Amino acid sequence: MKKFVTLLLAALMVLSVVACGGAKEPETYEIAMVTDIGTIDDKSFNQGTWEGIVAYCEEKNITHKYYKPAEGTTDACLAAIELAVENGAKVVVTPGFLFEETIFKAQDMYPEVTFIFIDGEPHSGDYTEYRIEDNVLSIYFAEEQVGFMCGYFAVKGGHTNLGFMGGMAVPAVVRFGYGYVQGAEAAAKELGIEEINMNYYYTGNFDATPEAQAKAAAWYEGGTTIIFGCGGAVGNSVMAAAEADEGRYVIGVDGDQSGESETVVTSAMKGLGAAVEYALEKYYAGEFPGGQIMTRDAADNGVRMPVESTKLDNFTEEAYNALYAKLADGSIVVKADDAGDSPEVFASEIIKIVYEK
Amino acid sequence: MEDYVVEMLHITKEFPGIRANDDITLQLRRGEIHALLGENGAGKSTLMSVLFGLYQPDSGEIKKDGETVRIDDPNDANALGIGMVHQHFKLVHNFTVLQNIVLGVESTRHGLLKMDQARKRVLALSEQYGLRVEPDALISDITVGMQQRVEILKMLYRDNDILIFDEPTAVLTPQEIDMLMEIMRGLAKEGKSILFITHKLNEIMAVADRCTVLQRGRCIGTVDVKDTTREELSRMMVGRPVELELKKNEAHPGETALEVRGLSMWNRNRRKKLLDNINFHVRKGEIVCLAGIDGNGQSELIYALAGLRPIDEGTILLSGQDITRASVRKRNDSGLAHIPEDRHKDGLVLDYTLEENLVLKRYHTPAFQKHGFLDFRAIRENAERLIDAYDVRSGQGAATTVRSMSGGNQQKAIIAREVDTGSEVLLAVQPTRGLDVGAIENIQRELLNLRDQGRAILLVSLELEEVMSLPDRILVIYEGQIVAELDPKTVTSQELGLYMAGSKREEVVG
Amino acid sequence: MKKKLVSLIDSPGFLSAMSSISAIVLGLLFGFLILLISNPGQAVQGLGIILQGGFSGGAKGIGQVLYLATPIIMTGLAVGFAFKTGLFNIGTPGQFIVGAYVAIYIGVKWTFLGGVQWIVALLGATVAGGLWALIPGILKAYLNVHEVIASIMMNYIGMYTVNMLIKRTVYNSLKNQSMNVAATAEIPRFGMDKVFVNVKGNLMDTSTVNGGFFIAIAAAVVIYILLNKTKFGYELKACGANRFASRYAGINEKRTIVLSMVISGMLAGLGGGLLYLSGANGRHISVIDVLAEEGFNGISVALLGLNNPIGIVFSALFIAYITLGGNYLQRLAFMPEVINIIIAVIIYFAALSLVVRQVIMYLRRRREQRAAVKAAASEGGAQE
Repeated sequence: MKKFVTLLLAALMVLSVVACGGAKEPETYEIAMVTDIGTIDDKSFNQGTWEGIVAYCEEKNITHKYYKPAEGTTDACLAAIELAVENGAKVVVTPGFLFEETIFKAQDMYPEVTFIFIDGEPHSGDYTEYRIEDNVLSIYFAEEQVGFMCGYFAVKGGHTNLGFMGGMAVPAVVRFGYGYVQGAEAAAKELGIEEINMNYYYTGNFDATPEAQAKAAAWYEGGTTIIFGCGGAVGNSVMAAAEADEGRYVIGVDGDQSGESETVVTSAMKGLGAAVEYALEKYYAGEFPGGQIMTRDAADNGVRMPVESTKLDNFTEEAYNALYAKLADGSIVVKADDAGDSPEVFASEIIKIVYEK
Repeated sequence: MEDYVVEMLHITKEFPGIRANDDITLQLRRGEIHALLGENGAGKSTLMSVLFGLYQPDSGEIKKDGETVRIDDPNDANALGIGMVHQHFKLVHNFTVLQNIVLGVESTRHGLLKMDQARKRVLALSEQYGLRVEPDALISDITVGMQQRVEILKMLYRDNDILIFDEPTAVLTPQEIDMLMEIMRGLAKEGKSILFITHKLNEIMAVADRCTVLQRGRCIGTVDVKDTTREELSRMMVGRPVELELKKNEAHPGETALEVRGLSMWNRNRRKKLLDNINFHVRKGEIVCLAGIDGNGQSELIYALAGLRPIDEGTILLSGQDITRASVRKRNDSGLAHIPEDRHKDGLVLDYTLEENLVLKRYHTPAFQKHGFLDFRAIRENAERLIDAYDVRSGQGAATTVRSMSGGNQQKAIIAREVDTGSEVLLAVQPTRGLDVGAIENIQRELLNLRDQGRAILLVSLELEEVMSLPDRILVIYEGQIVAELDPKTVTSQELGLYMAGSKREEVVG
Repeated sequence: MKKKLVSLIDSPGFLSAMSSISAIVLGLLFGFLILLISNPGQAVQGLGIILQGGFSGGAKGIGQVLYLATPIIMTGLAVGFAFKTGLFNIGTPGQFIVGAYVAIYIGVKWTFLGGVQWIVALLGATVAGGLWALIPGILKAYLNVHEVIASIMMNYIGMYTVNMLIKRTVYNSLKNQSMNVAATAEIPRFGMDKVFVNVKGNLMDTSTVNGGFFIAIAAAVVIYILLNKTKFGYELKACGANRFASRYAGINEKRTIVLSMVISGMLAGLGGGLLYLSGANGRHISVIDVLAEEGFNGISVALLGLNNPIGIVFSALFIAYITLGGNYLQRLAFMPEVINIIIAVIIYFAALSLVVRQVIMYLRRRREQRAAVKAAASEGGAQE
């Protein structure tokens, strides 16, 4: 026992000496990100946002750091922001609508700090007051546009039995899905297809669960050939189900997920990093568009499909660019989440929607 | 130069805090029966563990036939021809006698057992030493006495010539004890050397040639048995003179305090009756002893009386009141005290302090609690009174954790608690088990005192001496039935043994 | 004077405190080792921040310590109480979350209760936790099913049932969590919002802590009295220490086992109520398939507190304090994930205090025995 303690203390001393000679860490961090309940490598929201920050800051040599709240409450998120500010943050980036109440308070508490808020807008806890101050920029994405493109090219690629498996029915997920249905219908009309079957379901969380996988497997079993796995790790469940069967495919979400599984034929990508970089650029240029709620859409490259890695039949870069241009210039308008509470509003002669609650 | 077959010279073995063996010398002559006498904790088991290589002595040496040897494990001891009959036999119950004997030293041909040869040898050995075993009987079917002879045969079969018997008579009837003594003498005559570990003076006087006495880890001396007396041996063992004969007044039994009618209990799967139509009564002012070989239903009967195990038929009356279905608490409160067989399991909460244990049966009474809150002052006073009255010794008095107390003082605490309840009926199960001679004497005297005060005592004892000396009446229990009621003044221990072994029975006693 | 000191050192309370403190020191030592490995340059500074704990966050930080301590005081009491009575209640996560759900349900739906809504909600949580522990208690007492197995099962049943019930009754689908409780169901602040607050401009950055902390302290005191001063506590502890002797003494040990489990479950359930009856800024039950960590942390708290109710309050405060210290460690260049490991290491080593206690007792006994042997030896020498 004594020997062990001695050994331990000796090791500590040696390491302490090493410690003193170690590299100097910065004292303050200018750009801060506060993560939501997920981890920094969630292959989704946190990761995409963080990659944008890293890309910009490393290029411009600006100090940056991410903070994790102690728990998923508003108070804890505020504490994390406080920590970031005390640590010298001039800009705080927060991804995800869970920060809506937090930013609503933080914008007043730290008027000298700039907030870049992805996918949400500040409001009070009881939803009675929506207010955005000059130090906050809210950025939304036109998910319905990229959803539209995915649905369109899926049907163009010969799929007539489609599925949409969303995570929680949050606005962004809803927009992806609605666009997807509309895109499928548009392609069907062009090709003269008479019937498109569409399975539609929200799992209620952003986790890879056996339930989600079983549901996806059941759909594939029932003839569905492609499923849009839309919501964090839900996509991984769908991929696992697709891998078990021949000729079953998956559409990824948020980032390019073709690396996750062979079955991923394309992804509905949001330009999270690009949007953050854009906002940071504006901030350092002294033109920060504070107090605004902006939507990044096809017109400013806010959303896209990964042309290089897309493996759908009949998919060409020309066709993609043509469709993209139409979305960008407004000649195609995709309805978003204000279209209604249920995807069934898009049901038509052609689109048969089976919406499971 | 004497002819010593095994010598343990100046053995010292220290454990943290105690010197279990302190410079002990034990020399075993060829062909003698040598008794090793000592109370619990005197160092007998440690010494034997050293001999079998389970412990290495801190100093001292072991010689076999005059040569110094090193014994690292029991196999070494075996190779030197040393074998032991343990207090608890090490036999496989669903094997035959023969299979048990050859177990571990089987001779084979082409991987097949050669049992014929083994059988011949076992029969020859059995004949030679008068062991009378049936080689093809299953162990589970034979008596304890025969099981012990199988153990002896195991040693002989392995060519052991130094035989150690560890408290061999504890489980035997008087007849079986006599037979064992005979066998031991026979073995010695054939040149085997026997070491006989015991604390029973009569047996030493009957069979041993010499006796080495240990006391608190030290060797008091080795004496020739023919030159000594029981009194002398007990004085050496305890360190002070002990009265071996109990002084007993005439009993004056009064009215019936405990009565049992037609009590029966089945075992769990209802295949076997553990207790079969038990009828007896105990009167105030008498000690009734339930005698029998361990495992014949004594424990079950006491548990049934105490309410710890349900019965299937019969009635139990406590001072005329039917308590057959009463809870344990009800029985305790209506005047039933119980000194349990296993004091660590049933009798004490070892992690509680002495004072807490002394109110274990009475903490719920108004004397010790008010409105659900314990009255610690009353509890302390009660403890101090009992500690004083019963001379319970402990490190920190009433606040001592019972676990840290010696077995004798733990037992005294239980007796103090049970006697102090003033209950009319006392169930005393092996109240002197595992205690020193001095403590035994005190407890027996206390029981006689209580009897004279008019309590009714039901005693369960496995010690023949105690059965013969303490009670006023003896009930013999055999396989769950009461087979005889005997008067200790007139019965001989031989006769008692016949009843205990089931070979003789009276017709049912009221 | 010296005698007094020795008797203090030998007292069981001192021994307990010493073993807990040594365990904490051991934990910090190992935590520091990981700090050194992950970021040698800032390890010393990092240890400083951890030790500074909640004080780094000003008045709000201290409030947050109390807030984080509240639920784990309760689950710590639940585990410690059951331990004292010889039962290992590993079912606290289930009892905790079931209690939390009932509190939230009453807090959202039963607005007709007005000012006493929060009290009823807490009572509901307590009863629910108790009922959830009743099942393993009955199984243990009457069918001899080990309580660990039964209560682990009840943990999962509890979690999935609560997830299902939330979705059916009090679901905020947008956030995939339970709804906010009514204002009358929030536990009153008892003035703590005036004390534990950081002023930011014209805004108050208040701590989440509320009167629940006082309720937890009161629960600890009640349990202390129950265990040490009452007839019932005597019976409970006797059953825990020796079931057979309790039966022999006339204690109805089956009933005692069931009651012990139920009380333990009630404590955990109340803990759930105390944590979740806070405002919109506070905790909500997320509908995810994860067992409540507060339940398991109760085991560490109870171990560090050596199952003593008062010790449990302090150990819960310590664990909350060190957890928050870890949060502030993000100031330095430590990855939040590494910080989690460091804090976990400190807590788990601290939970070894029982082992440390045994080691201390062993060393002490050996020392005493050596002395005794030496004394005996010299005595023997004198005789010769």
